Amino acid sequence: MTALLEAVGVVKRFGGLTAVDGVDIEVAPGEMVGLIGPNGSGKTTLFDCLSGIQSIDGGSVSFDGVDITRRRPHQVARLGMARTFQLIRIYRDLTVLENMELSTQWAGVGLRDLFRRADAATRRKGEDLLEFLMLGPMRDEPAGTLSGGQRRLLEIGMALMSDPRLVLLDEATAGVNPSLVEDIKDRLRAVNSGKGVAFLLVEHNVQFVADLCERVVVLDAGSKLADGTPGQIMDDPAVIEAYFGAAGRARQTNAGDAGGNGTGAGP
Amino acid sequence: MRALTQWLAGGRGLAATRVAVAAVLAWLIVLPLVGATDSTMFTMTLMFTSVAVAINWNLTGGFTGYVDFGHAVWFGLGAYVTAILMSLQANSLGIGWPPVPAIVVGAVVAGALAGLIGRATMRLRGPYFSIAMLGTFVAVREIVRTWGGLTGGGVGLTLPPYLNRQLFYYVELVLVVGLVALTWWLRRTRFGAALVAIREDELGAQMRGISTTRLKVAVFSFAGASTGLFGGLWAYQNTFVDPDIAFTEVRTIDAIMGTLLGGLGTVAGPVVGSVVLYWLREVLWANLLDYHLVAQGVLLIMVVLLMPRGIVGAFDRRGVSARRLWRFRRRQADDQPEKVTAP
Repeated sequence: MTALLEAVGVVKRFGGLTAVDGVDIEVAPGEMVGLIGPNGSGKTTLFDCLSGIQSIDGGSVSFDGVDITRRRPHQVARLGMARTFQLIRIYRDLTVLENMELSTQWAGVGLRDLFRRADAATRRKGEDLLEFLMLGPMRDEPAGTLSGGQRRLLEIGMALMSDPRLVLLDEATAGVNPSLVEDIKDRLRAVNSGKGVAFLLVEHNVQFVADLCERVVVLDAGSKLADGTPGQIMDDPAVIEAYFGAAGRARQTNAGDAGGNGTGAGP
Repeated sequence: MRALTQWLAGGRGLAATRVAVAAVLAWLIVLPLVGATDSTMFTMTLMFTSVAVAINWNLTGGFTGYVDFGHAVWFGLGAYVTAILMSLQANSLGIGWPPVPAIVVGAVVAGALAGLIGRATMRLRGPYFSIAMLGTFVAVREIVRTWGGLTGGGVGLTLPPYLNRQLFYYVELVLVVGLVALTWWLRRTRFGAALVAIREDELGAQMRGISTTRLKVAVFSFAGASTGLFGGLWAYQNTFVDPDIAFTEVRTIDAIMGTLLGGLGTVAGPVVGSVVLYWLREVLWANLLDYHLVAQGVLLIMVVLLMPRGIVGAFDRRGVSARRLWRFRRRQADDQPEKVTAP
């Protein structure tokens, strides 16, 4: 199968620091891929390189057969790649529904559309998605009044508004309480199986990744350390060393319940 | 206060607001016909000018979130291009164009230059953009002063006088009303919403497919052209321009103060704020001659501290707080995720 997203040998340097050091990554249409790694391993920087926010110093990125290595973020978005951010980016002074309406697909929006209001179909789509994400009652509230977890949901909704073929999710569960994490998981799965949307997700919640993804890529110090099924990754000694450190080694000797309750990285 | 806010936002309040707007408009239309003096009409025309400049400033500063400290540069450019084209003096082109094409060309030049300069300066955010525009303002003024062969240098240029106050009054009234209608409509389009998205989170807007550079430069260029148009009209009425009266910081400061007082990022804010500021200054000047600017400054500080959303902003949630003028600094602190609940 041809890949939807294909990045080859991506390099990104900040001065003397090589944040991403020749990473290859592929996502097939409709696939759910996890991207994990310790803090500072280059996950978010890789996201920034894939989505055009950072220009890359080496390698190439293509999406749906189109070379997007030098494309700007809005051009990448118009091809059908959406993303969410680790530090949530919503339009806080606009209502929840307005946030959604503004996030529709901008490809093919001509001058004439630019000077019109959002149409009824867009509005309905926004409302439906908000219902789906349990944000229906909040739709006329300013987005700035939402709680942290609701902001995550809204950002996911905004990413889905453009009918993307791939969504890059940057820590969709950070700061979200465990019951809502389950809800997010169900909804991502539904979007994936129902609409065939592919996801690439950066996560510290290993259980979340293991439950959702067929394939997991591990980054460490800017390089790809491993690429395989969640099971293979959990058993990979190099991954355990890099990702779980000493705690991981201890856990491995304790009847192998690695990642049992969504352990985060770090101490 | 809250009850009043809700009443004004509700159906009956809206109807009352409409009646009030219609009454004010009717009064403005008949004013010259019921024997207003030339001096009254001139004062009113200057007020229309300051309202228009504030509306234009609000397009970039209030809606799009690019706080421009040099907006008056477009006013001066419009004024000077008009003066150069109309003037018959030997030290200018001496072509003596009629006023309408001269003023229109002035606006077009101001808009085109705003597009070019905005393209460069709008890469900057927050205070950096503000300072870059202040620098642009000073640089252009000094170029005009130095380029004596074209601009008359520090001596300035004289325009053929045409002192029909009533005509200027009506022309500017129509233009200001048109400008208000235009912003009201723009605010409701996808374009207007995208501008607000740029203000709220420019990178987020890009990542959702909005070509932010194109849109923000377009609105900046439009604001420049519109302010340039009023600059040209002013030059014609004033019959004389020199670098220091055509390019004066006060015009930028008044636009910012009027917009803050009325409500940043609202449609009616710059109108209400500029009118209040204009008459307030007259009152302060008449009563506290030596201290009127001090009093005005204190008032502005009080507005930012006590009423940061301005007069209109109190009723219109689309407004922005003046404390968030340069909001990009606050992102990090604001967006810290909530504490994770332990499983």
